[in-house]
Amino acid sequence: MNRNNFFIHLALALVLILVAAFAGQLSRWRKQWKNQVRIVPATEKKKPTTAEEIALSEARSFGSPEVLVKFKTGVSSEAIEALTSRLHDRVEDRIENADGWEAIDDLDNADAASIVAQYSQLPEVEYAEPNFEIKLEETPEGPLVPVLPHDPQFNDQWALANSGQRGGKQGADISATLAWATTTGTDKLVVAVLDTGVDYTHEDLMENMWVRPATMAPYHDNELGTIDDLNGFNAIDSAADPMDDNGHGTHCAGIIGAEGENNIGIAGVNWKVQIMPLKFMNSGGFGTTKDAIEAINYVINRKKAGVNVRIISASWGSTQKSRALGDIIRKAYENDILFVAAAGNSSVDNDRTPHYPSSYPNVISVAALDRHDHLASFSNFGVKSVMVAAPGVDILSTWLGNEYEEKSGTSMATPVVSGVGALILAKNPRMPVDDLHKRLMDSTDPIIVLKGKTVTGGRINAAKALE
Amino acid sequence: MAINKDGAVENARKDLAQRLKIDAAAVKEHSVEDADFPDMALGAAEDGEMSGMMITRGWRIKLEAQGQTYEYRADKNQLRLHNFKGKNYRI
Repeated sequence: MNRNNFFIHLALALVLILVAAFAGQLSRWRKQWKNQVRIVPATEKKKPTTAEEIALSEARSFGSPEVLVKFKTGVSSEAIEALTSRLHDRVEDRIENADGWEAIDDLDNADAASIVAQYSQLPEVEYAEPNFEIKLEETPEGPLVPVLPHDPQFNDQWALANSGQRGGKQGADISATLAWATTTGTDKLVVAVLDTGVDYTHEDLMENMWVRPATMAPYHDNELGTIDDLNGFNAIDSAADPMDDNGHGTHCAGIIGAEGENNIGIAGVNWKVQIMPLKFMNSGGFGTTKDAIEAINYVINRKKAGVNVRIISASWGSTQKSRALGDIIRKAYENDILFVAAAGNSSVDNDRTPHYPSSYPNVISVAALDRHDHLASFSNFGVKSVMVAAPGVDILSTWLGNEYEEKSGTSMATPVVSGVGALILAKNPRMPVDDLHKRLMDSTDPIIVLKGKTVTGGRINAAKALE
Repeated sequence: MAINKDGAVENARKDLAQRLKIDAAAVKEHSVEDADFPDMALGAAEDGEMSGMMITRGWRIKLEAQGQTYEYRADKNQLRLHNFKGKNYRI
């Protein structure tokens, strides 16, 4: 061995010794860290702040076992933290306004059922249940990647991607960004918005408005005569078109289908769809049962004439039952058209005090949630009569005059569900109405506060609907 | 035509006086307050009337006459009498 080779071998030996020493230290650090795992208050966790961060965060969070535990009254926060620490778990989140409820994350990655069993046996615990999560749909290329639109006000649309903006609960949304990895809608599908009309000239809606095809004759009704329904139907004044003179219908239309990825305003649940405006409520936001029936009859006739209208979104109602209205909704259903309706805003139990049209058979009745995943203070409910819940408080959408406004009500929750229905049909164009109804009912995330309040006990989840 | 708060109170007084067949001066203003109503019929839908299920900002107007209190509800679009002898009326 010459002098140069000796120094090369010496240097290599020193490097190997240093690497081994560093690896040993790393192992010790890892062990120390494991032994020092502490309870991390939810407030210390860095919350994603942008829609992109929340979407990615949502994607990463899938698969982590988690349970929801309700501790008995009087069990202190310190006692809960000591208990979870002893079980090598941690408090993932405290659920505001639901006293005693904690979301627990298991650090040993045990399955949810065994964690639930473990906690259920503890004397401090009143109740434990799995925190159900949707699973990522695996594609041949791997898990879905959230899709984010570049519409400038998208970050204010907490219903679609809740990053905790304005104090909301991160992830309390309909998982729209994951759904959009499968489909953003189709312009082959028509959703009828039965309301105060729609401002079909709004710059964020105009590309997604239904227009009577040139090959289709103007609408003819034996009693009303021939009507130029180029832009839809006006049941109040059949000679007029369905331009919105209130704003409510335009707001609902934007939730369903404001054009996405157009660098203007907001994104609808569907980036592409055809909105058919139907006006039966006046500039004050109220109308008659007779005009509602007339407009639904128009939809059925247009369906029979070949228009692919599959959903009627109805953000209105009253407590007065009309057999005629119930009959025409049933007829729509028989013609493969799903009717989605607002549960009402009187904070009452619809099982006891029915609200119509939402309480008619086969209607998807929708309650409203706020940005914390709480049932909105105004929302009606009903474990037998209200099907699902959806975001319905401070919902940003299109308004008259190319404007945007935040509004609240089961009116706003209803088009969210109608929009999810449209996404399902975009992926499954031939899905019969019975299956569409069932798919929506099966596509919710269980929410604690909805247990015993709605049929599904859950918030609609667009990504789950497209699995 | 848009209605403002003062106009709504004045119209409510006139309406109540007519209904009760009394002089408008005999109708006293009990209270007028801003309110969120549950729907676009201000929670006072007439028979056969449907309304948008959107929370609507308006005014709750309480008037007194002949020892009774009557409640009107108004927003920029409308004035309604709530639960007058068991029925609602749009004025």
